[in-house]
Amino acid sequence: MRKLRALWFRLCGMFSGKRGESEFAAELESHIAMHTEDGIRAGLTPEEARRQALIRLGGAEQTRQAHRERRGLPALESFLRDLAYGSRTLAKHPGVTAIAVLSIALGIGANATIFSMISRFVLRPPPMGDPSTLLAIHTVRTGDQCCNPFSWPQYVDLRQQAKSFSDVTAYFDMIPASISGSGEPERVWGQGVTTNFFDVTELPMLLGRGFVSSDENSPAVVLGAGLWQRRFNADKDIVGKTVTLSGHTFTVVGVAPRAFHSVDQVLYTEFWVPLDFAGQLMPSLPTKSARELHWLSVVARIKPGVTQKQVAAELRTLALRFAHDNPATDKDNTFAFEQAGSLPPKQRGAILIFMAALLVVVLLVLLIAGANVANLLFAQAASRQRDMAVRLALGATRARLRRQLLMESVLLGLGGGVIGVLLSLWATQALSALHIPAPVPLDVSIGVDWRVLLFAFAMSVISGLLLGVAPAWAASRPLLSNALKGEDALARPGRRISLRNLLLVAQIAMSVILLCVTGLFLRSLQSASSIDIGFHPENVLMMSVDPRLNGYTPERTAQFLNQLQQREATIPGVLSAVSTDVTPLSGGHRSDMFHAVSQQAGATPGSYADLYMATPGYFDTLGIPRISGGDFGSEIADGPKSAIVNQAFVQRVFAGQNPIGQHVTGGHTTYQIIGVVGNVKSRTLGEETRPVLYRSLLQTVASDPSGLGYTLLVHTAGNPASVQQAVQRQIHALDPQMAIFNEETMEEHVRTAFFLPRLAAMLFGTFGFIGLVLAAVGLYGVMSYAVSRRTREIGIRMAMGAQPGTVERLILRQGMTLTLIAVAIGWPVAWMLARVAASFLYGIQPHDALTFAIVPPFLAVIALVACWIPARRAASINPMQALRSE
Amino acid sequence: MGKKADVLQGTLTLMVLQTLDSLGPLHGYGLARRIEQTSGDLLQLNYGTLYPALLKLEQEGYIRSRWGVSENNRRAKFYELTRAGLRQLKRATEDWEQTTAILARFLAPAQES
Repeated sequence: MRKLRALWFRLCGMFSGKRGESEFAAELESHIAMHTEDGIRAGLTPEEARRQALIRLGGAEQTRQAHRERRGLPALESFLRDLAYGSRTLAKHPGVTAIAVLSIALGIGANATIFSMISRFVLRPPPMGDPSTLLAIHTVRTGDQCCNPFSWPQYVDLRQQAKSFSDVTAYFDMIPASISGSGEPERVWGQGVTTNFFDVTELPMLLGRGFVSSDENSPAVVLGAGLWQRRFNADKDIVGKTVTLSGHTFTVVGVAPRAFHSVDQVLYTEFWVPLDFAGQLMPSLPTKSARELHWLSVVARIKPGVTQKQVAAELRTLALRFAHDNPATDKDNTFAFEQAGSLPPKQRGAILIFMAALLVVVLLVLLIAGANVANLLFAQAASRQRDMAVRLALGATRARLRRQLLMESVLLGLGGGVIGVLLSLWATQALSALHIPAPVPLDVSIGVDWRVLLFAFAMSVISGLLLGVAPAWAASRPLLSNALKGEDALARPGRRISLRNLLLVAQIAMSVILLCVTGLFLRSLQSASSIDIGFHPENVLMMSVDPRLNGYTPERTAQFLNQLQQREATIPGVLSAVSTDVTPLSGGHRSDMFHAVSQQAGATPGSYADLYMATPGYFDTLGIPRISGGDFGSEIADGPKSAIVNQAFVQRVFAGQNPIGQHVTGGHTTYQIIGVVGNVKSRTLGEETRPVLYRSLLQTVASDPSGLGYTLLVHTAGNPASVQQAVQRQIHALDPQMAIFNEETMEEHVRTAFFLPRLAAMLFGTFGFIGLVLAAVGLYGVMSYAVSRRTREIGIRMAMGAQPGTVERLILRQGMTLTLIAVAIGWPVAWMLARVAASFLYGIQPHDALTFAIVPPFLAVIALVACWIPARRAASINPMQALRSE
Repeated sequence: MGKKADVLQGTLTLMVLQTLDSLGPLHGYGLARRIEQTSGDLLQLNYGTLYPALLKLEQEGYIRSRWGVSENNRRAKFYELTRAGLRQLKRATEDWEQTTAILARFLAPAQES
């Protein structure tokens, strides 16, 4: 406390220098006067008395100094002086400072942006009570990849028998519902949870409470904060009121915190209902008694004091016990777990590799930027050598000079850091706005949080120090005699390879790598955009509804869709209207194993095929070519089932034989094939063509309803957006309570499918461009410096008869030699690194010949231009002036 | 230099507080002389070190200062003890007594032998 108080006074003392000084001078004066008087009284002469007084004081100036140091904080004061001096020096060279700060800003901005992804997906703990003791548990079949959900009986057994956990909760992760409230009806996603869910996760509720065990039998709902704000105007008294979800009444018991969307931190769900009531919203939920159906995500809270090792051991024991008791279902079953809220285990590997690749790239950008700035600082150090030499000669220590130069480079680093963070604020926003092609809402927004700020700060300071350390070292050791004479004092005699050339080579080599990677991703985007998706997305409007959420029976659903199609077809400008469950390129929905019923010659053992529903006219509407057979149209709802398959299906299941009239069976259903159509990309753009089986929507609505609703496809003569309002009106005319979602044109939808190649090309393209510009600026800077240093030499050469052309070639040769060395180093490294990028490329080889052939000459041209300007300057040197100027 | 002792680290503060406690407000010079007198002129104070020490005590809030007039009509800065200073004096005195007592026990047998 006292120490703090003293520190505060000393801090204040720093800023009241004058007043404190004069006050102490007065006090000291009176001290000396009194002492002198006493001396005179004791019989000394006035002079002698005063001398004695000063001696006993230990010197007036020393005392003043001791007092001054105690008054303020000397270390801080000298730090501030360095800071002020540093800022003044930087301000004196606004051009150099601006280039340096911008270079670092680009580097730090790129790093902060990528780090904000890592912070969001890897480092951020879920917004739940003590994330470190919360585990997500999965079941894994021995030998299979991780991970599967739980069945209800398995969950109950685990909860009852596991001793490591204080409690275990289970939830079903995606339940659609249409919700009432202000505005038009809307489809939202929620989760069905056991009533201990909010106790186990320890969510700090925004309003009201989580579920209690008695809610098991009451239709209660917890709303997400976003939904509560959007649909209920952030009504503070919402607790106790009722809301309608898909026509069922639920009582609101609480509002979940704003940051919480799902335990896994990726799904974006907005309401939670007790698991027993989830069936009302989603009748197709598996029954609780079935031990073989895995559908529940499980999260457990570890008891205090229990280690993860103990948890793993107990789960192993339990898995063996369960397998023994239920050999039919639990044989070979094991459990896996990780901290709740980590990346989903299935995708973790790919995401981590992607982010690691990006991190490497942005570090390269920062290194290039750093090399640039270090070179600039070298040039500056060279121009200040005289200044430094004078200060050294006057008695400044080298350490003092170094500290001051480092202060300047750290200032540059921090300035770059601030602008870099601003850049990454913009970049993260742009990235968050990208739409991911998935049928369910995902929360993948990234932003600049405190971890990113801390990271950016650390990076700024570290790069500031690293950048400055070599130039500061060099600048603080000028050859004094040379410097004072005005000659170059930094070039040590006998050194052929200068640090600056080394930096430059490293910098260009890194841009070779960066450019190769960028080239690969740009080529990948180019090749992705030429992928044949198999259908025509032009002039098609799509709009989804889920009549089941409004309590429609399967018959009414089919009827509703049919009526809707007829109504839409009457809108002027509409050519046709059809329905399906899920559109292609939505990431996939349903698939099953299929094989031919009658094993004719050459028949294969069968194949997995994706399943889609279609109504008559579907293929013509999307422009999918019909190869043979007919279209849907003559089916009876509960008659024998018909199917149309694509060519890939024919290849894989019938080995290319004519399948018309044949039967296939899969998913406990047998279909007669009535037609063959062309291939389309089913789930993603980059996939190998998959076998697809189209079922009649009319025949499937009842037996296998879609969990994602149904999508109306409206083919228009002109711009599809122009009929959007009319189409909506027709839907609401049939049922004003019907929620509409996924409204977009098919072209927009297909564009979303380019998400991954576009994201990669965008990120790498940006970074590659930045790297190239930085390297070019760096080369230009070094060559300009070389020219200015050799002005005298060039002058002599020209005075001796060298032609301007010769001088120009001399400079160019120097720059190009450096470039060639750099390319020779960078190219093989890029070649090796390209393999890592392979899994993110579309339709091109990682060692894409075009990319690797174009990058070196392209870079050479850029380098040539960057060297050209200083070379021209060298050639235009007037020998007389050059020789006089020194 | 012989008999005159230097001031032991940390004891100057205690002397200042004690002197101010027994004599009331004093200016720097008076304080210095007083400490020397009390020590029976065994201590020779470097007056220059007194002022930073006074400043430290003031920053820590144990003493406060104001300008006044000395006995021979000279303007001088007077220092006086605060309540916190009084408490600190008690604490420091106890500490010091304890330290000297312990030290005395260590030194006693050495003197016997």
